[in-house]
Amino acid sequence: MMKYLKILHISLTERLAYRADFFLTTFFRFLPLVTTFLLWEAIYAGAPKADDGAETTIVGFTRDKMIAYLLLVQISRMFSSMPGLATGIAHDIRDGNLKKYLLQPIDMLWYLLSYRGAHKIAYIATTALPYGILFFLFRDVFDLPGPWTWLAYFLSLILAFLIGFFFEACIGIAGFWLLEVTSFMYIVNIFTFFVSGQLFPLELLGEYPYLTAALEVLPFQYLAYFPAMVFLEKRQGTELIVGLLIEFAWAIGLLVFCRWLYHVGLRHYSAYGG
Amino acid sequence: MLLRYVNLWFSLAKFSLLGELAFRGNFLIKIFVELLWLGILLLFNYTIFQQTTSIADWNAQQYFFFIGCYFAMGGLIEMLFLDNCNQFADLVRSGDLDFFLLRPIDEQFLVSCKHVDWSCAPNIILGAVIMSLALWQIGWTFDTIQVGIFLVLFASGTALAYGFLLILMSASVWLMRNQSLFEMWWLFTTLMRYPSEIFKGPWAQPTGWFFFFVIPIMLVTNVPARVMVRPLLEPWLACYAIAAAIVVVAASRYIFRAALQHYRSASS
Amino acid sequence: MPIIEANGLSKTYRVYQKQEGLFGALVGLFSREYKDVVAVDNVSFTIEPGEIVGFLGPNGAGKTTTLKMLAGLIYPTSGSATVLGHVPWEREDAFRRRFSLVMGQKNQLWWDLPAADSFQLHREIYSLPSDQFDATLSELTELFGVKDLTSQPVRELSLGERMKMELIAALLHQPQLLLLDEPTIGLDVIAQVTIQKCLRDYNAARGVTVLLTSHYMRDVEALCKRVLVITHGKLVYDGSLAGIVDRFGNEKLVKLQFDGDDSPADVATFGEVTSREGPIVELKVDRARVPEVLAAILQRYTVADISINEPPLDRMIAKVFEQGTV
Repeated sequence: MMKYLKILHISLTERLAYRADFFLTTFFRFLPLVTTFLLWEAIYAGAPKADDGAETTIVGFTRDKMIAYLLLVQISRMFSSMPGLATGIAHDIRDGNLKKYLLQPIDMLWYLLSYRGAHKIAYIATTALPYGILFFLFRDVFDLPGPWTWLAYFLSLILAFLIGFFFEACIGIAGFWLLEVTSFMYIVNIFTFFVSGQLFPLELLGEYPYLTAALEVLPFQYLAYFPAMVFLEKRQGTELIVGLLIEFAWAIGLLVFCRWLYHVGLRHYSAYGG
Repeated sequence: MLLRYVNLWFSLAKFSLLGELAFRGNFLIKIFVELLWLGILLLFNYTIFQQTTSIADWNAQQYFFFIGCYFAMGGLIEMLFLDNCNQFADLVRSGDLDFFLLRPIDEQFLVSCKHVDWSCAPNIILGAVIMSLALWQIGWTFDTIQVGIFLVLFASGTALAYGFLLILMSASVWLMRNQSLFEMWWLFTTLMRYPSEIFKGPWAQPTGWFFFFVIPIMLVTNVPARVMVRPLLEPWLACYAIAAAIVVVAASRYIFRAALQHYRSASS
Repeated sequence: MPIIEANGLSKTYRVYQKQEGLFGALVGLFSREYKDVVAVDNVSFTIEPGEIVGFLGPNGAGKTTTLKMLAGLIYPTSGSATVLGHVPWEREDAFRRRFSLVMGQKNQLWWDLPAADSFQLHREIYSLPSDQFDATLSELTELFGVKDLTSQPVRELSLGERMKMELIAALLHQPQLLLLDEPTIGLDVIAQVTIQKCLRDYNAARGVTVLLTSHYMRDVEALCKRVLVITHGKLVYDGSLAGIVDRFGNEKLVKLQFDGDDSPADVATFGEVTSREGPIVELKVDRARVPEVLAAILQRYTVADISINEPPLDRMIAKVFEQGTV
């Protein structure tokens, strides 16, 4: 247990050690959110007004609820995004750094998981202020949900973290076989950006039932869309339970698959002779 | 002299293709995911335009042209430069940049053009197809001059994006970042993805101006797209776009050479 | 006309101290301590065309830094140098066409493609006319014995084969100067010997000047008549290999086999005992004292066998490294 606390400590120090980098990236992290906001403003502005003067809704979201959704999706991504995880693993494989995991009594996946966990805590701590300000500015769009919803929300975020981690870890481990993981990860990230609901609520694809059904079964929506919907109380009762169960299944499933892939990869790797 | 570089580029492109085809699986998967992404993007915009009539004064066909332009431009940059710029930080860290410095060839050329990422080529073609379809839907009549201006502005947009990439890449010599250039490029494309008109409102407008005129990332796709589908493109804007491209490319070369200088002083 | 002239070359680095702990890291956001590290200190030498010269020194001595300065990769902090008539750090195209740098364990070739493709690219980069190129390539692949391997992807080749390909690539444009940094590091003995032989043959045939750094004595012994020893950034010796022995080899190893099953108890009084096994003893004796020590032993004891040897060059050089001064 102590060693994982130590990892937290080192992780925080490491974060502060990157000087100008630190300020720059925090600033630029908000840019996509800003443009997404503006895009939706423009969309709502161009939408035909209802005859009875009621608020314009697009796929059941008023402008306010859309803003709430976009902010919540950011929170989900804070938990589920794993920048550099896949490329880090791929690099370790390529450069032969894997040996350090094989020789020491430490398992690569658990090590990385606790490292990422610590990194997340550090990251959340350092971005708490700007996000806090943002949420305060927009506090009117939110309806605070009840205690059970909070619990479900928290659960969905933890599971989102696990799904995000093991999904990217799998891609990183594919580095045993794929030659170029970096550019592949880039494409996957772009794809995930759209399909996880970061740009738009997946309701928008409601006219295509096959697509919607497919997305419901795939893990991507749990990275951003699902937790946000939980908080907005747009998932209730059995729907909520089923959603959480699918999310849980994906977390476990990806964990198992990831470990298996790692095993197979190691066998393949040592056969090569490094 | 220029011919030598052109020939060299073709050889590099050929060898890159050979290298990529040697890993067919990788190549095909990447193209597949890119097609999926384009599909979702188109689907999203198509559905949006069933709910709304315009996005920031751009109607459906105009907006689709914009998307096609964005896709083609992104594809071109990613094919020619993104991978190479991303590798630069690794070269600096490992010291392998030395080998680029030893050749009797301009280092910027070698560093920027070493690898051509052919898996992005379909993006350019698809972007062009989408643009053509949008134009056809608008009922556009062929105008050689307009196309000519468009191509010039498209090229200058590409040059502008390249210049920015080079500057970001060179900065890694001083900052010694751990993060990949891909992340920065992704933020970059965020600004390229939408018409500048969405920057409306007291906070947004100055931000929009900043990214349109001061750090003119938005010029990259906005200007060429406007030429083709918007009522009238002010000539001064076109000139500004070209001038910005020249300035940024010149600045990027200067910064790149400064970065090399720093690398050589600090390297052991 | 010397091919290389170095005068007072020096290189100092500023290394920033990273603070310990969380508080230190916070402080480090605003101000940092640094110290200056001297990598190369006032190194001067001249090299004539056609020589094969070795740079010897322990790790971190400054050999690679000096080599990189001669290649123009690094600016010196002070001092001057002329290589092939050019100032290396100005990196003129004409200069870059006339020399090559190969670094051990570093790969300049395209990883996924056959070496032949890398060679083609090389031809275009250096603008070599095709018939000349074909002839040179043929000659080199013959010399290094890798003619059938050029169409295999480089990543599938063994370390030794890869190094040979690297050297071929380095020689394709017929440079007048070849700079090698630890070329045989990590290679097995057979590969090392082959490469040493190829370099020697090529130097004999074409008169290429070769400068190689190594911390392996074997490379230097096999190739170089002249060595420059660098320790702690300073040039401590510049001369023939044989000269090192004369200068620093002031001890000899005397191996004695005594009659009987054991060596005499007081054998340590004659010199430093480096090994002792039954009747066989090895002593380290001051060179000047060898005759008198031998005489004394032979007077007292019966000796079945004697041999007198130089201590291995390695050990001598290591002592030079330790001492750091002439």
